[in-house]
Amino acid sequence: MEMKRISKHAKKGKAFLAPWLFLLPALAVIIAFYIVPIFESFAWSVLDYQLILGEGEFVGLDNFRYIFQDSLFWLALTNSIVFLLLVLPMNIFLPMILASLVNQKLRGVGAFRLFYYLPVVTPMVVAALMWGMLYTESGLIGRLVFQLGLFDRPTNLLMQTATALFAVSVITVWKGLGYYMMIYLSGLQSISDEIYEAADIDGASFIQKFFRITVPMLTPSVTLVSVMTIINGLKVFEEIALTTGGGPSGATTTLVMYIFDKFMDLDVSTASAAGIILLLLAVGGSLLQMRISKSKEEDLKG
Amino acid sequence: MKNKKRIKTLLIYLIMLFFTVITIGPFIFTLLISLKGAQEGIFTTVLPQDPTLSNYVDAFRGANFGAFLLNTAIATGLAVPLNILFCSLAAYPLARMDFRGKTLALTVIISTMAVPFQLFMAPLFQLTGDLGLRNSYLGLIVLQVGTAFGIFLVRQAYLTIPKALEESAYIDGANIFQVWFRVVLPMIKPTLITLGIYTFTFTWGDYLWPLLNTTNSDMYTLSIGLAQLSQSFSGANMKLISAASLMTTIPSIFIFIWLQRYFVGTTSGAVKG
Repeated sequence: MEMKRISKHAKKGKAFLAPWLFLLPALAVIIAFYIVPIFESFAWSVLDYQLILGEGEFVGLDNFRYIFQDSLFWLALTNSIVFLLLVLPMNIFLPMILASLVNQKLRGVGAFRLFYYLPVVTPMVVAALMWGMLYTESGLIGRLVFQLGLFDRPTNLLMQTATALFAVSVITVWKGLGYYMMIYLSGLQSISDEIYEAADIDGASFIQKFFRITVPMLTPSVTLVSVMTIINGLKVFEEIALTTGGGPSGATTTLVMYIFDKFMDLDVSTASAAGIILLLLAVGGSLLQMRISKSKEEDLKG
Repeated sequence: MKNKKRIKTLLIYLIMLFFTVITIGPFIFTLLISLKGAQEGIFTTVLPQDPTLSNYVDAFRGANFGAFLLNTAIATGLAVPLNILFCSLAAYPLARMDFRGKTLALTVIISTMAVPFQLFMAPLFQLTGDLGLRNSYLGLIVLQVGTAFGIFLVRQAYLTIPKALEESAYIDGANIFQVWFRVVLPMIKPTLITLGIYTFTFTWGDYLWPLLNTTNSDMYTLSIGLAQLSQSFSGANMKLISAASLMTTIPSIFIFIWLQRYFVGTTSGAVKG
């Protein structure tokens, strides 16, 4: 009797420990290298932290007051939002078109899927450098915009204040096409063929089927793609740092470039304060997008 | 009717081809530039007049490409197995067990996904310095092992497999660890390989964190080395950069093509190959 109780107790102890033993390695890394630094950055945002000394005085909201008075911060914030507004529609629609193309029962679509996915596995630095070469004045795009009559001489779009942010967003979109295509593809495969067959019988065209069936049925995937675009789009770094470096005259200085420059000046408290704004944007934007999509989904059901 | 269908098919192929030009085009242009000799202008003609591999050789000789390649390979070689192991361990109790703190653990892990790296890169930089991880391989991969994304991905895979097999293994006397390793893991092989591909791609191409954590040029990864090369975007350099860029990309592409048939999408539904 006594024995039985002990073994039962031991078993219970083991059952308590087991899940945490499984979680331990990953959780230790996440706590040490994500959670701790994240909370530290919250703390630094209200300190006057000196990286070299490893200490700082409490300054309250001074860092936030500083960035809110810094015109470069507002420019960076605007650029980040404009960048998202440029990338979002392209990220939502282009991969959707790609997915519905390669979802056809046609010979060789597997190869096309692969071709569309290659930019995803390409290192971002390589993507930025390749596009940088295409954009140079004597490069393909630099000359193309001249030949199309958009500019009166060969022009590097990355060097023009008016077009630099758009030129950068093209690189971001190009890199992500295949990734978002795969998300749509799994969404598409959950739509039953019967709906399309019924539409075929009614004589619907490819375009009609795309806008009347595919797009509405893909609402959950659109939400996922939008949220990921917002979270990833706010973090964009390489394609700006390695092509324009934030220029010309701040035209591509996004919030991340602003934070990076502050960090390089060892002004880590200002960087942390701006980082918190970045976090709020990421969380807020995602929640907003989910809410919009939810109401749309309900409209669809109702 | 049949003719109409044929035209439609042709049209679809043409559109697909158009997008292929967009996604593959930059690689082709880079390849053509990389094959041009020292005397040739980069943009004088599209095709190289006298194709040569000298830029590829120069990347190894002059630009220290070999050392960067080795560093990147070591970091990636560490990150991939560790991330697969840590994530598949952590995801198991989150999918299968009931315990106090489960919801909290899951929430904490998933919420780190929404936090931009640039928020906490400065404290992380100080932390890795204090821990002696600066200029080390482990320092390069601290954010790549036990990732929230990986845990989420593997947990979704666990949730799709039936419990019956595990239950019968318990009846046969296996302990929880054996069940996980012998019964459950083999069933989610495609997801583990998918996670491996993601981890490989990410670590191989990671730039900002290696840039911050590496101060010694002997520890440069390919991405940093390439970025350094591109600081002077002059004519001669552009051919070298092109060659080095393509060599940097080839392992990623090769791994993806090799393991493609196991690749599943990011959402729970498997994508037919």
